[in-house]
Amino acid sequence: MNMLTVSASPHIHGDYLTKKLMYGVVYSLVPAMLVSLYFFGFNALRVLLLSVFFSLLFEWLIQKYLIKGPISITDGSAIVTGILLAFNVPSNLPASMIIVGALVAIGIAKMSFGGLGKNIFNPALVARVFLLISFPVEMTSWPKPLGFTKNLSDVITGPTPLGFVKDGISSGRNISELAAHMPSYIQDLLGQTGGSLGEVSAITLIIGGIYLIWKKIISWEIPISILLTVVVFSGILWIIDPQQYADPVFQLLTGGLMLGAIFMATDMVTSPMTKGGQLVFGFGVGLLTILIRVWGAYPEGVSFAILLMNAVVPLINRGFKPKRFGTKPCLITLT
Amino acid sequence: MASKKESTFAHMVVTLFLVALIAALALGSVYVVTKKPIALAKKKKQEAAIKAVLPAFDKITVKKFPDADGVDSLQFNIAFRNGKMIGVAVNTYTNKGFGGRIEAMVGLLDDGTIYNTSVLSLKETPGLGTKLEKKKSNFPDQFIGKNPATFKLKVKKDGGNVDAITAATISSRAFCDALQRAYDTFEKEKDKLK
Amino acid sequence: MNHIQNFTKGFIKENPVFVLLLGMCPTLGTTTSSINGLGMGLATAFVLTMSNLVVSLVKNQIPDKVRIPSFIVIIATFVTIVELLMQAFTPTLFYQLGLFIPLIVVNCIVLGRAEAFASKNTVGSSVLDGFGMGLGFAFALTILGSVRELLGSGAIFGIHLMKGDMMLVFVLAPGAFIALGYIIAIINKLNKTA
Repeated sequence: MNMLTVSASPHIHGDYLTKKLMYGVVYSLVPAMLVSLYFFGFNALRVLLLSVFFSLLFEWLIQKYLIKGPISITDGSAIVTGILLAFNVPSNLPASMIIVGALVAIGIAKMSFGGLGKNIFNPALVARVFLLISFPVEMTSWPKPLGFTKNLSDVITGPTPLGFVKDGISSGRNISELAAHMPSYIQDLLGQTGGSLGEVSAITLIIGGIYLIWKKIISWEIPISILLTVVVFSGILWIIDPQQYADPVFQLLTGGLMLGAIFMATDMVTSPMTKGGQLVFGFGVGLLTILIRVWGAYPEGVSFAILLMNAVVPLINRGFKPKRFGTKPCLITLT
Repeated sequence: MASKKESTFAHMVVTLFLVALIAALALGSVYVVTKKPIALAKKKKQEAAIKAVLPAFDKITVKKFPDADGVDSLQFNIAFRNGKMIGVAVNTYTNKGFGGRIEAMVGLLDDGTIYNTSVLSLKETPGLGTKLEKKKSNFPDQFIGKNPATFKLKVKKDGGNVDAITAATISSRAFCDALQRAYDTFEKEKDKLK
Repeated sequence: MNHIQNFTKGFIKENPVFVLLLGMCPTLGTTTSSINGLGMGLATAFVLTMSNLVVSLVKNQIPDKVRIPSFIVIIATFVTIVELLMQAFTPTLFYQLGLFIPLIVVNCIVLGRAEAFASKNTVGSSVLDGFGMGLGFAFALTILGSVRELLGSGAIFGIHLMKGDMMLVFVLAPGAFIALGYIIAIINKLNKTA
């Protein structure tokens, strides 16, 4: 252990404890959680509780019986993973699949690599992709947001706006024909569309994101560069042929883009360390997202894009090392 | 190892020549031995596919016709029993699958009614599009005994009569396209079959 | 090293897949079910035994500089023989394994054993080594195939233990990596404690 190796002084005391950061993320997710409860009712609560509970349980079991090391379930990281996993699945997902998801997130994506801070990929996203590939029917039947009033067993499912557009274009219709059946931008913004728990309401995610940036838990570079890349790239496509490609506002507000850009891509463990690296990372995520959405097999590509960029983070970190003080003018400052 | 041959040019050439010669002889003889069983296995495979989509027959003649949109041609395996045509097993295809080309075999009775269908090859998403295959779901069963003249080969979403596979509309659509192609070609070439 | 050790080392101690990590391409590509894994493993075991036999027979006749091309020709011959035989007598398995049968030629484990063992040892121990390694490879592929089939489609050797599919990801490429990784972890743990 070289925990005692420190660089030369002066040092500034940073108040960034794992616990504090993680609970900060939890607080920032509260508005989105409330909206998902409002739109999806008890089912949303069920998914959230199951996901968080089993994430904690698997973390505890693995730390106690497999790693036999210190137990750190109170640091909040498993709670964040649990909430984010819940946010990434449809509200009518069977409990067994949520449990599998929690096991994959904690067991495969996090603990197999050595626990918090050593994982290469974002645990919640690994679990989401695992579930999406494993249970394609359940993971792509999105219940319509109906709230508490409706009978639980009588869920109406429908496509997400992205899925609807993809399906429509592949069957030879164009955007203006489809537009009549699509939710308005206001609905996209507030969350009155089909989709997973946490992706439907863009506005609450933005509020959470602003809180995180204000508290300096995340930096603005990653979300902004992702969103900007998406706007520019989808804007170019839209200008080329507005009948074939959806417009940038639609791309921004629908699907898991906000959730991914603000909460998943900014995961400290799996994103680059320097500002320059973060901009490159964000650009890559944005570009891959649109590429997958427009030409890929799946209607939504944020999760794949983030995981793919997670894989190249070590490479980015190598390319964007902070300059040693004194050797050259220090352009990149560390937070 | 003292007895090892030295790497002179002559040695190398002779060795490689001998190795290649012996290999060629071995392969040649195995090929001759397995030629008949391989042909037999292939024929059996094709026959089994035809049998799966048509009622019992005793003779098959094969003809090729350009398909309805004239891009490619379809193979018609015309089945006879006691000298009378009872149906056609059409090797049909579609390029509209989620993962590209889907090849299927459709058994049509002489009035155009679908007797049965089977998927020969596909590259669809596992768990979704692969449900086109009989052993994976009962999606293909809904075509049995339907005549495309009255049964619209389109998914319900597009105004047809076909129940699409949940979350795999594109694959379902593609399968309908393959069936429609077989039926259209059959209708066009009906007179030349007997 | 005695004969028994030559034979048994391929199972766990020097298992080509779990310990030496050789031949990953067919290991990951063909193990979608236990029967595919077993078929691929046995085909490789046959090639491995025969090529070890022939290589150790002719090792002194082959000049050093052309030994690799000679070995490859010998291996390729046996692979083609296996391919023809499978096409003739087990057509179903042949079509399922498809491209991976000819790819046995470039399987590192086959050339690896020819180069590292058969070209330096007696005929008897080479055959035992090849057969042991081949069975070890088949054993590993069957285990991996069974794990993937069980988790992916809820079946073992085609016998369904439960209805419907399970976690499809295990039938696909990512599942192959995940399953292999965890099996290797377990084997390492067992080797350490043993």
